[in-house]
Amino acid sequence: MNIFPEAVSTYAHEMDKLFWLITLFAGLGFFITIGILIYALIRFRYSPQRKPMTFRGNTFREFRWVALGMALLAFADFYVLYDEHDTWDKMMQTVPEEKDLHIAITGRQWNWIFTYPGPDGKLYTADDVIINEPNSTIHVPIHKNVVFDIRSVDVIHSVFLKEARFKYDAIPGRTITKWVQFHRPGKYEIICAELCGVLHSKMRNFIMVESEEVFQQWLDELYAGTNE
Amino acid sequence: MATHTQSFWTKYIFSQDHKVIGAQYLIVGLIMAAVAGFFAYVFRYHLAYPDAEIPLWGTLDPRTYNMLVTTHGALMIFWVAMPILVAAIGNYLIPTMLGTDDMAFPFLNMLSFWVFFLSAVVVVASLFVPGGGFDGGWTLYPPLSVDAYLNTNPDFWKALFSGGSLVILALALEFASMLMGGINFMVTTINKRARGMSFSRMPILVWFMNFSVVTFMFSVGPVIAGALMLLLDRVAGTGFYDAYRGGDPILFQHLFWFFGHPEVYVLLFPTLGVIGEIIPTFSRKPLFGYKFIIWASIVAIVLSMVVWAHHQFVAGINPYMAVFFSVGTILISIPFAGIILSYVATIFGGNIRLELPMWWAVGFLATFLIGGLTGLYLGSNTFDIYAHDTSFVVAHFHYTLFPITFFGFFAAFYYWFPKFTGRMYNDFLGKLHFWGTFIFFQLFALPIFFLGLNGQPRRMSDYTAFETLMQDWHIQFREIATISAILLILTQFIWLYNFIVSLWKGKRVSSDNPWQANTLEWQAPSPPPHGNFEVYPEVYRDPYTFGVVQVNGKQKDFIPQNEKLPS
Repeated sequence: MNIFPEAVSTYAHEMDKLFWLITLFAGLGFFITIGILIYALIRFRYSPQRKPMTFRGNTFREFRWVALGMALLAFADFYVLYDEHDTWDKMMQTVPEEKDLHIAITGRQWNWIFTYPGPDGKLYTADDVIINEPNSTIHVPIHKNVVFDIRSVDVIHSVFLKEARFKYDAIPGRTITKWVQFHRPGKYEIICAELCGVLHSKMRNFIMVESEEVFQQWLDELYAGTNE
Repeated sequence: MATHTQSFWTKYIFSQDHKVIGAQYLIVGLIMAAVAGFFAYVFRYHLAYPDAEIPLWGTLDPRTYNMLVTTHGALMIFWVAMPILVAAIGNYLIPTMLGTDDMAFPFLNMLSFWVFFLSAVVVVASLFVPGGGFDGGWTLYPPLSVDAYLNTNPDFWKALFSGGSLVILALALEFASMLMGGINFMVTTINKRARGMSFSRMPILVWFMNFSVVTFMFSVGPVIAGALMLLLDRVAGTGFYDAYRGGDPILFQHLFWFFGHPEVYVLLFPTLGVIGEIIPTFSRKPLFGYKFIIWASIVAIVLSMVVWAHHQFVAGINPYMAVFFSVGTILISIPFAGIILSYVATIFGGNIRLELPMWWAVGFLATFLIGGLTGLYLGSNTFDIYAHDTSFVVAHFHYTLFPITFFGFFAAFYYWFPKFTGRMYNDFLGKLHFWGTFIFFQLFALPIFFLGLNGQPRRMSDYTAFETLMQDWHIQFREIATISAILLILTQFIWLYNFIVSLWKGKRVSSDNPWQANTLEWQAPSPPPHGNFEVYPEVYRDPYTFGVVQVNGKQKDFIPQNEKLPS
């Protein structure tokens, strides 16, 4: 078993590295604290002769070990924030200038609706192509910036591409623009990650990542209305 | 000491005695825990064996699955953890620890319970109304919880007597009840302390109880406004959360989590108080960092008011704002780490009697530690984008709320059982119960972390639609979690048996102070009569005077708060 699903987007590896960094800190915190706890329980177990200590932690000398623990945690916390910030900036705070493919993905009960720009290459014009059926598969090119406009027509949904470490809520009334760049071809599931009603667990579509040429061919067929 | 006579009705039903009210809260809380636990069994079974018929239930359709998960969450937080941890433990212990006869407002206290009882009736009734119980998730996110978007002209009465509206009404009643109880706690603490008990001589549990109700009072306002708007959206066709009419669904999330996050600390504080009483007593050592713990809690309360949006990192909030909430979230880990480490420091260097309550306290520390540390993953805004709405979150909050609610409650139960019943529990059954609960809980929740990390979303009635979520190890881990959850529930029957048998047949305690603790409740008779004390105690010192001392030429390792030493 692998801890994570296959990492197929440009920021997926950074996310996984962040996981291991946090695991290092959390693991150290866990084993040190549990170690001290178990040591104390054994070392200071009841004996009629033992005179328990009486310190109350009121002086800094007594308190320093707890203070050290808090300082280490503070360091770990801020190191994680510092380390992750580039990834956050890349994923959340920027959308690439160069939008190689700009599509809208709209949640409804219970499937995703995909809107491809028509032959004019612009989204939200009259020649847009809409794919609206359960279990449909959309195609995107590999190594290209794919920009999603995430929307919803009814309740809150959430686009989850676990292999890409991509997840954003689809909120009625808002258009949220996020991007992803795949670097491994394959067919991945698009899961809805926010409870959206009775058939929430059946809300499924697919995304096919393939080379530029194959994608263009699919797109041409889509425009011609001849693909499956 | 109260001397007036009481009939059956005024003694057991409409009682104004804080101990009876505490018992009433406890009983209702435990019944709701049984209901919520049974629901957990049903949907966990369904997750492990999606096609199988569930014993004692039958088949499960997705709508009912959603309803069971929703109800499990709402019941466990608002009708189990709140009444047991805050109301029952607070009612039993605040007056006795403060050395007084009852709460400041006994009638208000009774009213608080009966309003709570009504709320429990309403929430149970919500499961049986036409259309079925509420199935929109315990967080009540609109527009799903409004039943339909563009809900412009609902049938008022039909909408009012629907599952979702009744849950909102039940919550309103519950909040009213907890506010009445909370005011009582605070006024009692401020006005009814025994002579000589300054604030700095109060047991840490009384401090924590007050922190708990203060946090509740500070945070509950916005969610009441939010729930009212939700109710109006449902029954009157307003559009507060309807994006098509200028509303905004995110508004509810802000109002909800402004309350929802501090609520976690409302539940955590009583348990920290219980553990903070048990550890010094069984370590025979003063509580480490009494003042530090109080100040750390105050810092945590202040911070808890500015972290709510960490529940919304993926919910379309401004990504620049998210960094602020991420900083707040990780800052709040620091005071709590200090409190937990202070408890470990209290154990360190003691003379540790590993009696049953101490096992529960240590079990709480070990389990809650995992819950706290896995918060680091979710507090990191970047990793949360991946982990949010996966089973990782489910495992994380069960690793915090299960030890808070159940380890905290059972620690308190075994510790104060001899005091409030005058009898001793069966120690062997108690240890069996502890180890069963401890081991099966870990086996239940640990696999869910790994399922979540592998991308399994939460709140799905089954995963069969997704090939990548149906690998062999996924299925096995779900089975391990389910079987452990069932064993965890079955283990509680050991406790129930022990409770009932010990209540009637348990060995009578020979001393009013079997654990040799210092706080005032141990100076009252066991069980304390109506009015608690024969002579109202006077306090001469702080509650944690442990360690070997010479008193009148005799060696003692504790001095109760009310014992006057010859000068």
